[in-house]
Amino acid sequence: MQKLLNSILRNRTLLLFILLFGLSLRFIAKNHDYQRSSFTAFNNAVTSPFFKARHNIISFIKRQKNNEQLVAENQFLLSQLITKNNKKFLLDSVPFDVIPAQVIHNSIQLKHNRLTLNKGEKNGVKKEMGVITATGVVGVVNNINTQTSGVISLLNKSLRVNAKLKKSNHFGSLYWDGKAPNTMVLSDVPLAAKVTIGDTVVTGGMSAIFPAEIPLGVISATEVPMNDNYYDLRVSLFQDMTNLSQVYLVHFPSADLIKEMINDDE
Amino acid sequence: MNKLPKLILWFLILLFVQAFIFDPILLGTTYAPFVYVLLLVFLPNNWPPWLVLLGGFFIGFCVDFIFFSGGIHTAACTLIAFSRPLLIRAVFSETMAPENLKVEQESFINLLRYVILVIVVHHFVVFVFVVGNTDRIRWFLNAWLINSLLTISAVALILLLTRNSKR
Repeated sequence: MQKLLNSILRNRTLLLFILLFGLSLRFIAKNHDYQRSSFTAFNNAVTSPFFKARHNIISFIKRQKNNEQLVAENQFLLSQLITKNNKKFLLDSVPFDVIPAQVIHNSIQLKHNRLTLNKGEKNGVKKEMGVITATGVVGVVNNINTQTSGVISLLNKSLRVNAKLKKSNHFGSLYWDGKAPNTMVLSDVPLAAKVTIGDTVVTGGMSAIFPAEIPLGVISATEVPMNDNYYDLRVSLFQDMTNLSQVYLVHFPSADLIKEMINDDE
Repeated sequence: MNKLPKLILWFLILLFVQAFIFDPILLGTTYAPFVYVLLLVFLPNNWPPWLVLLGGFFIGFCVDFIFFSGGIHTAACTLIAFSRPLLIRAVFSETMAPENLKVEQESFINLLRYVILVIVVHHFVVFVFVVGNTDRIRWFLNAWLINSLLTISAVALILLLTRNSKR
């Protein structure tokens, strides 16, 4: 007994090594059994705050790159979506194209609000291009220079956008009444249309500026003015006009053709 | 014993650097130097062997926490801590008692030789466990070589910088 104890004491470093090394081998073996591993669960519980902090730092460092990637992806998806929704409007087979841009100035307090974008003539921006996001319409380009472009905001009393009820395809005209920055008025929808609160409003596509089927908002209130055959509908916008940053300019490939035809008719 | 606070400071700094700078995911590279191996060198030699073993185990465990690597670093660190007397005798004189080695007082070249040996053995164990089978022997040799070189250069740089700052 004494001898055994002595040999244990003499080899205690070796025994401790075998114990610790065996323990680490067990960790490795358990790690293969990923989902059921108690080590991983414990690990998660202890290190998740640490990892959150680390993730925040990583994403802070990589945010610029990530943003650029997301913008490029959105640009691609948006042009695909618009092209798909507007096949019938395409006079030639050139697909729709969108140009990503950043809002560098945005006013919302005025009656005739305007935006400034960081893309200009150099980047292919033209007058009367529509400015959109994935969740709504932002405005129409009305003056350009080489580096920047000025946009008439949707929150501008002089801008009217052709819109329709997604459900019934009844057209109307969307404009801002100068009150709340997230509520618009949809007028000229005939009483024959069945309108309920919550119906989705999308762009109508009856112009060479905005493609059809871009979501705009939902009906938040219905009103029938006295002695009138048209509704006065309130639309609450999907797009928050007060915190715009990334927007896309729509290049309508047939715009010039359409304009020519309209002018010919007149 | 004002060595312990210094050791703890090194521990925190090196683990932080390992987690926030030398992380393959963060750097976007396949390999990143395991600078924390320097901690195994800094564990005081006058500690009893069982304490050095526990220290190595703890360091490896912390790194495994950071990298979600199971027990790979734990195994490698424990092995290094256990075989430390052997490694010291291999680099310095045969007759030298391991507990007499004072890392700060050794010449840079000698220290570097010792550090290189530690790194090579450590990385060998790490990548043996990473690979886990004999199919990917080329990958293993590649990873072992490249990562060892990376770690050696990073650690040599750290040693040079900290030595200069002391003078």
